[in-house]
Amino acid sequence: MYYSIPKVEYYRPKTLEEAIELLLNIEGSKIVAGGTDLLVDIKTSRAKVRALIDINSIAELRGIVDAGEFIRIGAATKLQEILESHTISENLPLLRAAIESMGSWQIRNLATIGGNLCTASPAADTAPPLLAYDAELTIAGRSGLRVVPVSKFFTGYRKTAIGYGEILKEIVVRKSNWTKWSYVKLGRRGGFTLSIVAVAVTAKISNSVVEDIRIALNSVAPTPIRAYRAEEVLRGKKIEMKLVEEAARFVAGEVSPIDDIRSTSWYRREMSHRLTLDTLSRALGVE
Amino acid sequence: MVEDPEIIIRRWFVAESFIAVGKSLERVDSIEKVLGRARFVEDFFEEGFLVARLALARIPHARIRKISYDHILKNPKVHQVLTYRDIPGENQVGYAIPDQPLLAERKVRYYGEPVAVVVGRDPDTVNSAVEEVVLDVDPLPALYNSLEAMERQDILVHEALGTNIAFKTRVRKGDVDSGFSKADVVVENTYRTHHQEHAYLEPEAALAIPDLENRITVIATIQYPHLGQKIVAKVLGIPSSYVKIVAPYIGGGFGGKDDEGPLVAARAALAAYHLRRPVLLYYTREDSMQIHPKREATVIRYKSGATQDGKLTAIEVTIVHDTGAYANRGPFILWRATMHSSGPYYVPNAKIDGYCVYTNKVPQGSFRGFGNPSVQFAAEAQMDQLAEKLGFDPIDLRLINMLRPSSETITGQMLMSSVGIYDALKKLASESNWRIKRRMYEESRAGRFRRGIGVAVGWHGNSTSRAVPDWSNSYIHISRDGSVSVYTGIVEIGQGSPSSSHRQLVAEVLGCPFEKVNIVFGTTDAPDTGATHASRGTSVGAIGILVAAGKIRSRLESFLAEYFNVQKEEIKMSSGEVVVGDKVKMKWEELIALAYSKGVDLSATGYFFLPKGVFNDEVGQGFAYPAFSFIAVVAEVEVDTFTGKVRVLEVHPALAVGKVINPEAVKTQVEGAIVQGLGYTLMEKLVISEDGRIINDNLTDYVIPTSHETPVIREAIFVEDLWEYGPFGAKGVGEMAFIPMPAAIANALSHALGIRVTELPLTLDKVYSLTRDSSR
Repeated sequence: MYYSIPKVEYYRPKTLEEAIELLLNIEGSKIVAGGTDLLVDIKTSRAKVRALIDINSIAELRGIVDAGEFIRIGAATKLQEILESHTISENLPLLRAAIESMGSWQIRNLATIGGNLCTASPAADTAPPLLAYDAELTIAGRSGLRVVPVSKFFTGYRKTAIGYGEILKEIVVRKSNWTKWSYVKLGRRGGFTLSIVAVAVTAKISNSVVEDIRIALNSVAPTPIRAYRAEEVLRGKKIEMKLVEEAARFVAGEVSPIDDIRSTSWYRREMSHRLTLDTLSRALGVE
Repeated sequence: MVEDPEIIIRRWFVAESFIAVGKSLERVDSIEKVLGRARFVEDFFEEGFLVARLALARIPHARIRKISYDHILKNPKVHQVLTYRDIPGENQVGYAIPDQPLLAERKVRYYGEPVAVVVGRDPDTVNSAVEEVVLDVDPLPALYNSLEAMERQDILVHEALGTNIAFKTRVRKGDVDSGFSKADVVVENTYRTHHQEHAYLEPEAALAIPDLENRITVIATIQYPHLGQKIVAKVLGIPSSYVKIVAPYIGGGFGGKDDEGPLVAARAALAAYHLRRPVLLYYTREDSMQIHPKREATVIRYKSGATQDGKLTAIEVTIVHDTGAYANRGPFILWRATMHSSGPYYVPNAKIDGYCVYTNKVPQGSFRGFGNPSVQFAAEAQMDQLAEKLGFDPIDLRLINMLRPSSETITGQMLMSSVGIYDALKKLASESNWRIKRRMYEESRAGRFRRGIGVAVGWHGNSTSRAVPDWSNSYIHISRDGSVSVYTGIVEIGQGSPSSSHRQLVAEVLGCPFEKVNIVFGTTDAPDTGATHASRGTSVGAIGILVAAGKIRSRLESFLAEYFNVQKEEIKMSSGEVVVGDKVKMKWEELIALAYSKGVDLSATGYFFLPKGVFNDEVGQGFAYPAFSFIAVVAEVEVDTFTGKVRVLEVHPALAVGKVINPEAVKTQVEGAIVQGLGYTLMEKLVISEDGRIINDNLTDYVIPTSHETPVIREAIFVEDLWEYGPFGAKGVGEMAFIPMPAAIANALSHALGIRVTELPLTLDKVYSLTRDSSR
């Protein structure tokens, strides 16, 4: 009874079309799925909302589908469902590893992958794996669907490519034969914590040559980021510790961290270097 | 019949075999708590009661011109806004020094200071109304640094005092100059420790229910019902006897509700007094973190000297406590820190000065360990450095100097008995494989992950400091069916004294069935028992229970001896079975029925006033505490030099806390304190902005440890160094395991890195900087 949020209108549409119409027709309306970010923001007045449109009853937004070449994850799929999915653990181990470190069981049973992306916190934990997988995001609007690569999705601090009257529908990840990966998240404690820095790496190796690689980080810039220059250092090269070290140094140049309650800019820059070195070494199997 | 408390205490102190005491009997409230059936303050709320929240100051230091709220009262759902002007009694509620108002008056001295009580029909109404109270002020420059505040005369937190130093302490023993001149090595350092938030599960709340003739009942999150009664009576200007305080089950306190509890009760009572209706005052988590006092933040300068053979010759210590806006219990905390500053060692020459300094921050207050964790952190770091310089093993150096029976403390108090720390540390050294691990980790000090092992010792005086009066009291009566009602002011705050050890004591002393004992706890209907703080719930707090039960036992024995014409020694009473001589056997219930029919008085109070000595404040010499509890822990850590992340792998505790009444209950206290101490040392950190606001006033941004961080905690070693006045010889245990944790982790980390840690908390970035220093 102690906490209450300001009174809001509440809608629970059954279809995506209905949700989009509500979004377009009600000024100050906002999509809610798990509410684990949004309700806290409303409580602390960071978000001002007139109406909540609850998308949990829209069946097409839920679930994980193995569609042969692709894995499709509905935007309103709960983190816990993703964590428990064989499709995910077999095909998208980075995503699984990241979600494992998110919140508690209770939070993961409410929070959704789409919510984590759309809140667009610099510390969004599902972002580095999806950036590393080069996932595509399907966005629904009145005029139909459009696809945005996740690397273009975050447009600024807590800003996304989602436009007025649009809803994130699903996350699509192409299956790949990139077998090497590594993920590390550093927080102030071992669990239930926001990251200070997280790094996701996935790579395709043949004959000790890095055919391709993607490196992504969170909490070190206004949005989760890809470390393109570091990737470039390694792409097409034979794996060598010297190169890995060089790539990691490049990452420190690609980040723009800030001081906040959790840590300092200086430490984050140091860690983006060190943890990239760490994840790269593990993913590429060099010491 | 024996009614003399000292004789009763003595009888059970020398007991050699036990029925209930010393056993891990299950606490009666465990299942109900797990099932969510136990009721906490909020659970007593009923439809139609009013709700209240506090309007807080949003400026750290200012003179108040006007508090405006007429515009809020236009909302019919807002029933009243109460400020200092509405207090019918006294607004002054400072515990140690009369410096603190219940509601801000004339000045605001910290961001978050309560200004008004806003009472309304529902939470929505009061939640928005508290934001609308307007505080018209003349801002004043604010002080945030205690060392600076000590020197400043131009900015004063409390003008009338003429200084920002609220309170001073001192110890002068022997001659430190000659002590240091005899030393072969001298170590000197400055140590810094930080605030800690209690982060209890249940934030503060109080439900005040008015009755006829200005009588009032307050159900509150409180650690000392009788103190709440006194404060409520003072604020309302009514007799204490008109005030009833009830502490139901409480979701944690750790000292925070000892400070804030009476004030929450008084603010709720003020609202109910004016509105003549029940009012629930509640703190949100953010309110709780902004308002209530925190663990002491300290700067400690520490110099110690020792001879080549490892004997301490002198210490010189300056302790500065940042007490924030109000002294609260700061003087008591400083006093305790000062008198424990040597650690449990014999030190012939000591010069200690303590300063309790005002700043414009949240007040300093009671928190598990009460001034001791910070000063032991410094003292134990000094011991490690002396050991290193002298080429001693850290445990050996400690053993050389350790207090033993007949040793003298730095206040010149001779401890005749109940000093078991020497044996405890010796056992700990061998059972923890200290020497092997210490050497092993030193030899493998390379690579990314490095391990270290550290030791720390702590001591904690039982009862109040100096000659400050302390007593225990309880009331017991036995019903005709043989069931036993025990009234105590001790509260059930998670520790389980009323739900386990108190029942065990009564069942043991009366010889009645354990299930027949009901403890009525946390109520002013019981005699004033003192607070549930200072590790006293099962030690000092339970002496009264032992004495009351002992009186009734003695009456029953005298009655049986006379009735059956036998010697008292021929009477046996245990577990509900009564045997008189070799012929008569009866059940406990039959005995009680018989006693009732023959006119035996089966109700008794058990009062005991602790004998104390004399203390000279001028030189800080004399009687400090009737007994000390002791602890030693060995902690092992692993540090990731890549990131600065410290993991505590294992903690091995050894305690000398007198008789252990319930081993399982002690274990839970030890484990909880270890994890709380670990969190304090490694991750907990209040962040205060430039305008004096605590910006991480929630549990997302202020992180406390979880099961992920919980280390392996080894079975504790116990040395039962009985205390003559403790029930069955028990001493206090609740705070003990916290006290050495900062020191043990810091010493282990220093060992792992080969570099001295002098400042807490050991957050990732700080440790990372240290690792870079150490690799240079």
